[in-house]
Parts: sequence; structure tokens; C-alpha cells
Amino acid sequence: MKISSLWGYLGAGLALLVLLLVPPLADNHYITAVFVSVLLFFILAALFDFMLGYLNIFNFGMGGFMALGAYTSGLLTHHFGISPWIGLLAGGCSTLLLGLFAGVITLRLRGIYIGLTTLFLAEFVLFALSNLREYTRGAAGLQVSTFPDLFGISFGRGDPLSLYYLLFVICVVIYASLHFLVRSRVGLVFKAIRDDQLGTSVLGFNVVRYKLLNFAVASFFTGVVGAFYGNYIGILVPTTQEFGISRTTEILTIAYVGGRGTLWGSLLGAFALIGLQEGFRVIDEWRLVLYGAFLVFVLMVFPQGLAGAVKQLAGWVEARFTGSAQQEDPEQKASTGPAQDGPEVTPKLPDRKVP
Amino acid sequence: MNFELLTYPVVVAQFFVDGLGRGVMYGLMGMGLALIFGIMGLINFAHGAFFMVGTYLMYFVAVQLGVPFPIAIIAAAVGLFCIGAVLERTLISPLRKRMGENWLVDGYVMTIGLLIMLENLALIVMGPRDHGIARLVEGRTMISGIIVTYERVVVFVVAILVVLGLAAFMRYTNIGRAIRATSEHPDAAMAMGIDIRKIYTITFALGSALIGGVGGLLLSTYPAFPTIGSDVLLKSFIVVIVGGLGNVWAAMVAGILLGLIESYAQGIAASGWQNSIIAAVVVAVLVFRPAGLFSKSVSRP
Repeated sequence: MKISSLWGYLGAGLALLVLLLVPPLADNHYITAVFVSVLLFFILAALFDFMLGYLNIFNFGMGGFMALGAYTSGLLTHHFGISPWIGLLAGGCSTLLLGLFAGVITLRLRGIYIGLTTLFLAEFVLFALSNLREYTRGAAGLQVSTFPDLFGISFGRGDPLSLYYLLFVICVVIYASLHFLVRSRVGLVFKAIRDDQLGTSVLGFNVVRYKLLNFAVASFFTGVVGAFYGNYIGILVPTTQEFGISRTTEILTIAYVGGRGTLWGSLLGAFALIGLQEGFRVIDEWRLVLYGAFLVFVLMVFPQGLAGAVKQLAGWVEARFTGSAQQEDPEQKASTGPAQDGPEVTPKLPDRKVP
Repeated sequence: MNFELLTYPVVVAQFFVDGLGRGVMYGLMGMGLALIFGIMGLINFAHGAFFMVGTYLMYFVAVQLGVPFPIAIIAAAVGLFCIGAVLERTLISPLRKRMGENWLVDGYVMTIGLLIMLENLALIVMGPRDHGIARLVEGRTMISGIIVTYERVVVFVVAILVVLGLAAFMRYTNIGRAIRATSEHPDAAMAMGIDIRKIYTITFALGSALIGGVGGLLLSTYPAFPTIGSDVLLKSFIVVIVGGLGNVWAAMVAGILLGLIESYAQGIAASGWQNSIIAAVVVAVLVFRPAGLFSKSVSRP
């Protein structure tokens, strides 16, 4: 077995172990809450990266997309008494529709236009939600009911552990879907479009259709996560901190710090930044400054993010093991972000030591 | 919806004057953003944060040090010019050098990092308190039933001067010509002996100085506050998109248009909805006329 794939399994196993075992072992509401936000930001950043890192689609409306999912679920349960379990899917579906609309009108445009259009679509959604006071109660906040029991397990807000495991399952499903898509033939086309859009279209691939597929999948899952988030926090307020540019910025920071073009990098990013945030609670106000500084720092010195650093480390250890630097893993080459001329991830070690 | 107000000519005229005054402010806000985008292709998300820094500089120089307002505004602009130049040299220029063609996405993520840092630094240093002045210029006059404050007049005149000054600078100075050449064809400009790295630094600093000076000028309307920039950023985006990305002059026209729309919309519809309407208009412009409302071509970029 190739050592690099062994590393992959090892890392995935370790991550699963930590995510599964630490919250119940700690048995502490605070730790569980921290892990919930790690998972939430991980999966949102992975979805963001699924668009940006694989197709260069800059979705600046993540926050608004989440809001639509959360409010669809919340309003359906509030006004029509529909089960929040169905609300999760309904949130996904409404956001899918928004994503399809946004995709159809923007995906033919150049990168920055997509970003700006999604930004203003999200702003529109947010403004509309805060203006429709008769239904959404606007800034007063919309109460969201809890998940009813399922299989005899309570998912009330008094049981953060079961909510955590619910989120864990959602994340695993989403991550597995994205991973499958990225590794499949479709994923290859994504990467081809990212690296050379014109060339790919000349080969006979319908570029816009692939982009739309990517965008729709990401939008659907963003809506599902948004619906879960609404149920988790229990009250929906359409503020920028919750669902606006600020939220999008946080997601984007985590995706970037984690490393673009690597879905699992987002987990590292989420752990690093949420850990940073929680660790620096003592000097509360400085943590957001650190957030910004971290983002600038990563862009300046580590364009591949934490994932790039980990790969570099793995490559180094591997080279030590086998005695010489192995051939570069094609996957690694493909996932170093959109055609960067940056420093190569794998360090070239000297063949023999200087006597 | 209530159109009754619009049957009185005086009210219509008053809305027009208010909208014009407001629109000129939006236009001024958008110009710096449009300049940087037009020349460098970079969307500067720290634009609003620069505005915020400008308002604080103005407050300190004018109120704490007691310097006359016009000099304080210039001081704010000069301060932001220096900040912009340093940031471009230390952060943005290396990024462009390393990433080659694909630096833009990382470029605007970089400015987002700057935005987070600046806003929260301001929050720590200055605290969540308004620092403002009552008004720039005292007094108002009544012209056949329409109230016009002198401050509006001053802002309007300054806007015209800025537009004309920038146009003259771009047209008649060597640096201005070099900037235009660089925006049109960087490689050709380089071949003509223009140091495009220097031009980019100057452009970024100039755009920052513009928004810093505007921050100083509008201190009475937008008192210094750490997160004042987010509203300014959104307004600047709207103006720049409607005018056409990178088109400095159209940004001013679009700003006036936006001001007028807002003013009349507030007169006839319940407040709050004009934000949704304007967001929808912006999306429509992006989709149907991505090069701006006033562009001749309808080609998709």
C-alpha cells in the first residue's frame, strides 16, 4: 500500500475517533458546544471549498443561503406544524432552488461577478426576511421548535450530545457525498474546468452544466446545515453576524486557513480557528483581530493552508521512510489550488547528505 | 405605498434635493473602490474599513487637536494615502508577484483579512462609542420652500471638485497617464518603461486616500464607529456595480441615482423595503448589464 494513502486513512481514523469520543468522554456542555461549532464550520467551509477550490466559484452568499434554509425549516414548523426532520430537507430544497436561480443567472459570468451577485442575492434574502415581520417576526426573532424524539432518543436542547451526534451524521453524509463527487469522473471534469475552462469546453463538456451541478449540490447541503443550525440555536434573527457577510467571512477564513482544494483541510481550519477563538476567550476582544491576522498570514506565507503544511510534513516523513523522495501523488498535485505558481508542496530533499 | 405626498411639487423638490445630497455622498464613497478595481482589478473589501479609519483620523485631528476642518480632511486623506501605500507594498504586491495571473481571488480574501483586523482593532482601541461632530458647516437656507443646508452644498461642491480634479489628474499628469496605460495594457505599459509595481502602489494609495478624505468629509453624517464601514462598503458596492465595475465617473452618476431612488422610495413606501428593492436592482444590473447601467455594450464579461 502506498504510504500516502495510509496516511490518509490514519488521519481520517484519528479525526473520526476524536470527533466521536471526545465530547462524550469530556461530558461537558461547553466542550460539546465547541465541537458543535467546529463541525458546523467544518462542513460549511468544506461546502464553500467545494465550490471555490474545485470550480473557482466564489459564493459570497453562504450566510444568506444558510438563512434561507434555517428560515424555511423554522417557518414551516412554526406556522404549519411540520416536523423539523422534514424541515431539514425542506430547508435544503428551498436553498437548492435559490442556488439554481443564482447559478442560472450568474455561472456564465466571470469569477468576481458571481461573487457579487451571490452577495447581493443573499443580502436580498436577508433584507426580505427581516422585512416580512408578520411571518418571520423580523429582528424580534423567530422561535424554532426542537426536533421530536426519534427511535426513542431525545434531541431536545437539554441533550447537546444527541444533537452533536445528529450533526455528526449530517456532516458524514455531506462529506461523503462531496468526497464521492470529487473523486468521481465528475470531479475530474471539475478540476479540468478549474484549470482550463476553455480547453474543457472544447473537449465537449458543458461547462455551465457542471458548474450548475456543483453549485446546486453545495446549495442544497448549505440549506440542510442552515436548517440544523436554526434548530440548534432555537431562535432565528436575521442579523449580519448570524447570516450576513460576517458569517460568510468566517466560513471563508476557515476554508482558506484549512487549505483550498482539499475538503478535509476545512476540518483543520475549523479546529485551528475555533480553538484559537476559544483559547483566547481570556483576551476576548483580540481574538477577532487574530482571526484577521491569521488569514493574512496564511495568505502571505502558506497559500496552501494547514492542509498544505500537513501534506508537506507527510511528504517529509515519507521521504525519510523510503530513503528518497517519492514521485508526487497526482491527487496532491491536483489539489494545490487553482493553478498556483506558489511554492511546491513537497519539499525536494537532497539525494545524499553532504559528507 | 402612498403616492399622495408626491402630488405636492414642494415635496417632490425637497425629495430631489435630499436625494441629490445623499447620492453625491454615495458617489464619493464609490469612487475609491471603482478606481482600485478599474486599474488593479482588485475588489477592495477593506474599503469600508478605510472609510472608518478616515473618520477617526478626522475626529482626532479636527476635534482633539482643533485643526480647521478643511485641513483635517486633507490630513485624513494623506494618512490613508500612507496606510494604503504601506499595505499595498507589504501585503498585496508580494501576493501579486507570487500568484501571477491568479492573484485576484486571494487578493480580495486578503482585503477581507485586513477588514476584520482593522474593524476589531478599532473596537479595542476606540470602544463601541460614536465619535462625531454635529456639523461641518453651520446654517441653512430656504429657496422657495425647499430647505437646503449649507453642509449639503459644501459636500456637493467638494464632490464636483474631486471629480474634476481626478479627471484632470488622470488626463494631464504623467502619473495619471501612466495609470491609465497600466490599466489598459500592463505589459505594454511595462515595455514603455513604466514601473507598473509603483503605479499599482500609487493607485491603491490614491483610492485609499479618496475614501479616507470622504470619511473625513462625511464625519457629521457618519460618526466614527468601528463598524461604520460595513454600510459604506455595501453602498460603495452598489454604486460601483450599477455604474459598471471600475468606471470612476459612472460611479458618481450611479451614486446620485441611488440617492434619488432611496429618497423617493422612503417617501412613498414603508421603510426597510428599499434595501430589498435596491439589492434586487443590483442583481438585475449584474445579470442583464454586467458592464454597468450606462455601458454601451451588453457583452458578458
